Amino acid sequence: MRRFFVILKKELKEMVTWQTLVPILLIMVIYSFLGRTINQEQKKQAAPQPITVVDLDRSQTSELLSGILTKANFKVTTVTEGVVDDIVRKVASEKGSAVLVIPHGFEAGLQAQHPQKVQTYTIMRNFSMMGIQGTFRMDAALSAMNEYIGDMYIKSGAPGLDPAVVKHAISSQSFITVGATSAEGDPQEIVSLVMQQTMIIPIVLFLVIIMASQMIAASIASEKENKTLETLLSTPVARGALVTAKMMASGIVALVSAAAYMVGMKSYMGSLIGSSTGASATAVQAIQKLGLVLDLRGYILLGLSVFAGIMVALSIAVILGAFAEDLKSVQILIMPLMMVVLLPYLITMFIDINTASPVLKWLIYAIPFSHPFLAAQFIFAHNFTMVIAGIIYQFALFFVLAAVAARIFSTDRILTMKLNTARRGSSLGGWTLQREGISLRIRRK
Amino acid sequence: MEQALVVENLKKSYGKFEALHGISFEVAPGEIFALIGPNGAGKTTTLRIVATILQPTSGTARVYGMDVQKDAARIREVISYLPEEAGAYKNLTGLGYLSFMAELFASDVTVQREYIQRASDITGLGERLRDRIGTYSKGMTRKLLLSRAVMTHPKLAIIDEPTSGLDVVAAIDIRESIRRTTAEGMAVLLSSHNMLEIEYLSDRVAIVDKGTIHDVGTPQGLKDKYGKANLEEVFVQVVRQ
Repeated sequence: MRRFFVILKKELKEMVTWQTLVPILLIMVIYSFLGRTINQEQKKQAAPQPITVVDLDRSQTSELLSGILTKANFKVTTVTEGVVDDIVRKVASEKGSAVLVIPHGFEAGLQAQHPQKVQTYTIMRNFSMMGIQGTFRMDAALSAMNEYIGDMYIKSGAPGLDPAVVKHAISSQSFITVGATSAEGDPQEIVSLVMQQTMIIPIVLFLVIIMASQMIAASIASEKENKTLETLLSTPVARGALVTAKMMASGIVALVSAAAYMVGMKSYMGSLIGSSTGASATAVQAIQKLGLVLDLRGYILLGLSVFAGIMVALSIAVILGAFAEDLKSVQILIMPLMMVVLLPYLITMFIDINTASPVLKWLIYAIPFSHPFLAAQFIFAHNFTMVIAGIIYQFALFFVLAAVAARIFSTDRILTMKLNTARRGSSLGGWTLQREGISLRIRRK
Repeated sequence: MEQALVVENLKKSYGKFEALHGISFEVAPGEIFALIGPNGAGKTTTLRIVATILQPTSGTARVYGMDVQKDAARIREVISYLPEEAGAYKNLTGLGYLSFMAELFASDVTVQREYIQRASDITGLGERLRDRIGTYSKGMTRKLLLSRAVMTHPKLAIIDEPTSGLDVVAAIDIRESIRRTTAEGMAVLLSSHNMLEIEYLSDRVAIVDKGTIHDVGTPQGLKDKYGKANLEEVFVQVVRQ
């Protein structure tokens, strides 16, 4: 038994190192941050949601319905005159998200027990998972109204009531609005059609960035470990060419594997969601009318954003790889990069960037990998300025990082910088970033 | 005649630690010059500076008149460097590796072929050159790398611990290869802590310890000067003084 504990102690000492602890701690910090942020966003969602009621009927019932909506946690703004299209456009430009039109003759129709149709406009700016929540708002408004009217019918005890009318006195003609354009269609169906087009991009991008970064950092580390790097550095090869060739090779391999993933993932996702051929003709027409289909310009912008994201990741990986002394240390070096990629991926999935707090918004924008994840959403929302600004930011950052990487390779820092993961006699080991000049632990002969 | 290498008052610090305290020596064309000393003496640092991959803190090193800092790119055209216990790309075949390195040094295909042929002859690996380097023994890899280092007819070859970790037969093969190739006028700067090897190989020797050169001379000259039977005893006496 004693020997068992001797072995157990040794195994634990081997396993509990910074290599294993840092990722766990990082994940803990990131997820608690995410949890808090999402929680705050959800509180925002729980606050009364704004809705503009265009009351063309100006009747007692329509006024009562506004009260019902307030009770059902809506913040109602009532407009009683004007052209509906103009009002919707105005609400959209003022960052509103829902318009309900109560037509003329609404009250009279209900009194005659004729089902009535209202028009609903869902204004979409965000096509992330969080954005979809907005499409459920109208359903909530409608069912609150139906419940009230139903109660009224039942209380009135009028003879010969049609149960179908009692249950669904009000139905809706749904519109979805993007920018200044509105089109008829079921918002949920339209949003899911839009999401299907770009759903695999974040997953593939995440895989590509991680793969390419790991490949390039591992390539530098293994060259250092085998001392082939020293040999290469003493040959007549320009240092810039060395760095660029390494980055390009990793980029090419990553892109080829991305293409393979895309094909596989697309068929997998297709089987989960059901192919888009199942979509109704109205929805297909609507996404075309609203410009929610990626056209050549959209694909080019999206491609550029993804490409820039990969280049930024590669240049960071080159710099991190320069610290690696061997393949083992690559894992720990790449971990922070993985976290930085994972963070915007998760945030943009669960948080509506348009309504996020300024601090969170700028934090997301500052992370270069947020932009490829956000690009598709911005393109669909016709916010091309943000996409282009994101691409410019990513390329600017890439050039700065590439210059730093080239500088490291053109000096002896490439050989003298290192991440030391050696144990210092303690059970946890040491973890210090070293450069010449910082510590005596640099290997010398 | 212009010297192959002139090192003057070379210093190199890693932060507060000074690895080289200002060393000076010269190597003539066709000469095999060895730095001998224990691990951590500063041999590899010196070799790396001459190979243009480390920058000196102060002092100069000139290869055929070219400064290691200002003319690094030109120096890389005429030198070759073989690090201690260096590996090669394991997925390449021996021939593939030689071809890759030949392409880095020459753009002319005929010259590349000549380099590969010369290296193939020197390695003595024959048909095994067509196998993946991953399948080679340590000695075979070292022979391949050494042949690579001399195939381009460098004016100065910098070789760190030529035979460390090799068995006696492989070590002798490597030493003979170095000897043969210097007959063509190539200068060699090498380092070793194997004094017997140095005695066999070198024309002149510098005794290095703790970043300082304590004495320079021919192996015989040093043995005579200190009245010792071999370089090991000379080294111990010099360092203890």
